[in-house]
Amino acid sequence: MPHQHIVKKFDKNLEKIKATIVEMGGLVGIQVNDATAVLLSYDAAEVDRITAYDRIINGLNKDINDRAEILIVRRQPMALDLRQTLAPINIAGELERIGDHAKSTAKRAHIIHNLPPEDATLDMIAQMSMITQAMLGDVLTAYANADIDLAAKITEKDNEVDVLYKQIVQTVIETLSKTPDTAESLIHITLIARNFERIGDHICNIARYVHQIATGEDLKASVDPADLRMDK
Amino acid sequence: MIDLTKQSGFNLPGRHRAEKRFQWAGRSAIAISLLFLAIMVGTIFRDASGVFRQTQIAVQVDLSADPASVSYGRMVKAGLRGMFPDVTSRRDKKRLYNLVSSEGSFEVARMVTENPDLMGGTQTLWLTASDDLDLYVRGKVDTTLPERQRRISDAEIAWVGELQATGQLRRVINWGFLTGGDSREPELAGILSALVGSAYSLAVCFALSFPIGIGAAIYLEEFAPANRLSDLIEVNINNLAAVPSIVFGLLGLSIFLGYMGLPRSSPLVGGMVLALMTLPTIIIAARAALRAVPPSFKEAALALGASPVQAVFHHVFPVAMPGMLTGAIIGMAQALGETAPLLMIGMVAFIVDIPESILEPATALPVQIFLWADSPERAFTEKTAAAIIVLLIFLITMNLIAILLRRKLETRF
Amino acid sequence: MADPIVTARGVDIFYDTTQAIINVDLDILPNKVTALIGPSGCGKSTFLRAINRMNDLIPICRMTGEMKIAGQDIYDPKVDVVALRAQVGMVFQKPNPFPKSIFENVAYGLKIHKMTTSKTELQDRVEWSLKNAGLWDEVADRLDQPGNSLSGGQQQRLCIARAIAVKPRVILMDEPCSALDPIATAVVEELIDNLRKDYTIVIVTHSMQQAARISQRTAFFHLGTLVEFGDTKTIFTTPVDERTQNYITGRIG
Repeated sequence: MPHQHIVKKFDKNLEKIKATIVEMGGLVGIQVNDATAVLLSYDAAEVDRITAYDRIINGLNKDINDRAEILIVRRQPMALDLRQTLAPINIAGELERIGDHAKSTAKRAHIIHNLPPEDATLDMIAQMSMITQAMLGDVLTAYANADIDLAAKITEKDNEVDVLYKQIVQTVIETLSKTPDTAESLIHITLIARNFERIGDHICNIARYVHQIATGEDLKASVDPADLRMDK
Repeated sequence: MIDLTKQSGFNLPGRHRAEKRFQWAGRSAIAISLLFLAIMVGTIFRDASGVFRQTQIAVQVDLSADPASVSYGRMVKAGLRGMFPDVTSRRDKKRLYNLVSSEGSFEVARMVTENPDLMGGTQTLWLTASDDLDLYVRGKVDTTLPERQRRISDAEIAWVGELQATGQLRRVINWGFLTGGDSREPELAGILSALVGSAYSLAVCFALSFPIGIGAAIYLEEFAPANRLSDLIEVNINNLAAVPSIVFGLLGLSIFLGYMGLPRSSPLVGGMVLALMTLPTIIIAARAALRAVPPSFKEAALALGASPVQAVFHHVFPVAMPGMLTGAIIGMAQALGETAPLLMIGMVAFIVDIPESILEPATALPVQIFLWADSPERAFTEKTAAAIIVLLIFLITMNLIAILLRRKLETRF
Repeated sequence: MADPIVTARGVDIFYDTTQAIINVDLDILPNKVTALIGPSGCGKSTFLRAINRMNDLIPICRMTGEMKIAGQDIYDPKVDVVALRAQVGMVFQKPNPFPKSIFENVAYGLKIHKMTTSKTELQDRVEWSLKNAGLWDEVADRLDQPGNSLSGGQQQRLCIARAIAVKPRVILMDEPCSALDPIATAVVEELIDNLRKDYTIVIVTHSMQQAARISQRTAFFHLGTLVEFGDTKTIFTTPVDERTQNYITGRIG
């Protein structure tokens, strides 16, 4: 564990940024959950609420950016401190996009509730939602605790999300050829599934940043072509 | 609430009182010192006041005679007799001759040497009056005393009255004091030989002690290794500064005069003895001046690749120079006023002629003062005070030169 | 990577019985700025002064180990320390121009080493030095004014001009900006960056931001040991040693 700063305010500032990320992540998780719920049991007012709440999420993103900016001006952070200041900017960006995907999912509820339900695929979507919510919880824990082992597991978990997504796409293609008149709802289902697949990827990016804060290493970037790992 | 006029709680009244007390103590100390200074200077000037002017009598001297057969002294006496023809008795004649300085013949001789045209005729020469006459004319003689208790007789008083009436007595500025050498007669005694003697001695002293002292200081401060030997040398130099000056006189006597056989009473030996005495003072002051130089200059020079000697002489020495000069002047002032060592090497003799070189016998100002102070004649008391004034002026001049030099060197720093 | 110009191997430096530098190995690369950082009393200034043997001036200071410049052991008895210092210049923390004119300050080194053969050559060299120190425009019309009539920043640049006039191979700087205001500091830092083309510079600094700004290699000293030495970017973004990290982030170590 790194020691405390001589200037206590410095530690407090960094802690506040961390806490705000965790808070933002928590709220984003709730948005995802609520968006999924409103898909399964439609409530117009709820959809509007979820849509409006996205602004709060964005507000937290701005707050984190502002805090990071002040920290750079005041403290000229180096090494670990610098990573702990810059990474949250990226992480907040990823969280904001997850929030946007949740909002977009909720808005599609307006449309699909008028269409015949596709229970099979909706179940799979609900599963995707559960997994990504769990992933989000884990990545926030990994971030708060600088736990790079936990962060690595999240990347593995994302495979399950990708598998479900492929299954949904497969199902949609099969159903589309059998019953072409359900195309409209199937397209929307596909788009909703895509949202969740994207949410999974964003969470993976956050895991990548968690690793980077701790080690300075970016697992997904290569500078030298000779480093390219062909097996990935 | 902040109350800036608050007096209590900070011990202010007590502190202000203490401040005032200290200020008054300081001022009184200065006042007392100035008072003593004023008394000293006032007394000296008062005592010396008689020296500034000199009484002269016009005497008709027949210079047609050949000086080889008739001495100037007799010519002067003849001249006096000629002015007061009714003086006949031996005692009266003695008193008559007492009007003019007994060394009047030397005066005439000097005048004739300077102006040979005076020979071969009767000339009216202004000759210096005797010291007793001079004292009377200035009103310093108590005429109420009976004649036997006075140095000037009634007859002389009468003659003086006559001379004054006929304008044959005058008071002129006594340039002779500054241009003449010592004399047995106070009225003719001058300070020049002592002045020149002191000047030569100091010159020799400075020429020896300044370079050696500065060189030693630079070596000890900058180049000597910091070991026990250097500490020993430093302690010994400090001790030498406290040695009574007469010891140096003894040293000079035995080595310079005895062993080396240098001329006795000469400014050369005097200067050498004074140099020995002044060296410790100069070395100590010079070392302090060197120590006061910020080491950054020397460091910068060395870092640039200057050799140690270059670093010291190009940078440390010029900056320390004003301080060194101050030390030298203090040393010189000390040397100027020293009597004891000069007495030991014989500069106590009665020297009349102005020394022409540093090898000729000479005397020094403090010695001259000492000699004159020893004489019983009242006129010499005045000369002593006058000599002290000359000494002080010499001292002040030296200090002024030092201050000017220092000012000039300091402006560059 | 070029051969190092200054190499230190197993250097120990003692003040009497206190050891100020413990077993340091260091390579200074040519035409680069190497920064020595560390808390007060860590020995970085002592190490710097060993490179041009300025520690020789302190009687109780002695050094063991090897210090070579361009392959020659500088403590070899055959080495003339005056010649060494002519080729390894130094700029000090507090600007210390000589109490002479600006011209004389810069010309001093040239004169004592007899590096110029004519008056015009001397003047040209002085002008060249002042230009390269970024001071010429400000003092060209008053070269006969005393050196200490300049401002602090100008005085320091004068000292730099004085040092580069003799064209040394290496320039050692002991916290050259710590007595200067931020603008003067920026000017001197820019100057150091320009000087790097022709000189090798070793700089001791208290400011980590300064070290990060102007150096290519950084050495972190702590309690007399060399804790970490590497590329400046690495030291300040991903240091290897925890002590380095603690120092540069201002953490209690």
